[in-house]
Amino acid sequence: MTATDLFAVAPGSTEPIYRQLVELVRRRVAAGQLRAGDELPSVRELAQSLAVNPMTVSKAYGLLEAQGVLERRRGLSMVVAASLAAAATPDRAALLRPTLERAAREARQLGLTPAQSLGLFKTVLHEQPEEPDHE
Amino acid sequence: MNDEIASPTAVVEGLHVAYGQQEVLRGLAWRLQPGQVVGLLGRNGAGKTTLLESLLGLREARSGTVQLFGHDVRSLGDAQRARIGYVPQQSDLFDWLTPAQLLAYFRSFYPRWNEAKAEGLLSRWDIARDKPIAKLSGGQKQRLSIVRALAHDPDLLVLDEPVAGLDPAGRRDFLRELVERVIDRGTTVVFSTHILSDLERVAFNVAFLAAGRIVLQAPLDELLDATRRIAGPAAQLESLRRRHGLEVLRSTPLPDGRLQMLVRDAEALAPQAALSVDSVTLEDLFMDLTQ
Repeated sequence: MTATDLFAVAPGSTEPIYRQLVELVRRRVAAGQLRAGDELPSVRELAQSLAVNPMTVSKAYGLLEAQGVLERRRGLSMVVAASLAAAATPDRAALLRPTLERAAREARQLGLTPAQSLGLFKTVLHEQPEEPDHE
Repeated sequence: MNDEIASPTAVVEGLHVAYGQQEVLRGLAWRLQPGQVVGLLGRNGAGKTTLLESLLGLREARSGTVQLFGHDVRSLGDAQRARIGYVPQQSDLFDWLTPAQLLAYFRSFYPRWNEAKAEGLLSRWDIARDKPIAKLSGGQKQRLSIVRALAHDPDLLVLDEPVAGLDPAGRRDFLRELVERVIDRGTTVVFSTHILSDLERVAFNVAFLAAGRIVLQAPLDELLDATRRIAGPAAQLESLRRRHGLEVLRSTPLPDGRLQMLVRDAEALAPQAALSVDSVTLEDLFMDLTQ
């Protein structure tokens, strides 16, 4: 079963926690850190680990199931759905969009030109360390 | 657990509480449904403690009614009282007893007592069973207060700033206990806190206390998803408000002559030329709604 340390939430954001969990799982699946058939922690386990209301976890899992990212196995645990895990690349880029939209809003507020913003993003991308291989 | 079919755990209506001439609660209305986890937010001095005490029948009101489990709180029977757990802001433990003696004393009042839970929590939180309570640290006393409130598996748990004296590790641990032992069981929980991140983690509903009333109670997810701060020329905002039928939670004139509004159910709004639309955090909501 997937370790709970693959999950983290950040209170104090404009995004409610259930939505953060949905986005996090989608990112992990798109990046291959969660693969088809991988079992997710139970609602109870994840709620305990993150110290969040179980209903929040339940809501996130429910949404992911409706989106076809997760499926319920034999009425018990949630696993990553087979079909979605295959469609990686286009989905991955789309997942970055919300963060970029936030950055674009800030850039506008700061009065940066698109050229300045893109230049900065390029620099920051080069600064990033390589993502370690996840099992 | 609660046998009543879907009747509210608590109903407060027209509650007026004053200290001498000073009105604190002014015709307050509030309702708690079974199993709800509600975070109560308000500025210092807004009356959170007064409200929680009134809810439990520990404070007299000038007028208004408070009902718990369908009964007037002033005439609550022992059986009903045994369903309530309370962690007050100032711990009211008996300093001269040891934790073991204190819990033994309280055990006698409750038909339902979870010895394993009480023992487990004492061990987990490293509370010496046989040391006089007077000798415990502030944080330990607070934890003991929490053990006492949880040990009889209450149907309604009321917590007044329960983690104020705990360090971040202690707070996280308490939240975990709350999630595992209380929320999972469907207990109705009301807690007041200044620590918004804690509230965001465990509360599903948030109630804002301001000007002596609950000005808003709503699911937190819904508030974060759909509440927006919009700013622009007053005329434009007003026309937008009318066109979309927006509920305005707060309206503030800005120094530059524009108007700012906090509006609900505004997910569909997008920024335009002179109109800015921003999402809000819980802290933003707190600042705007508890003026």
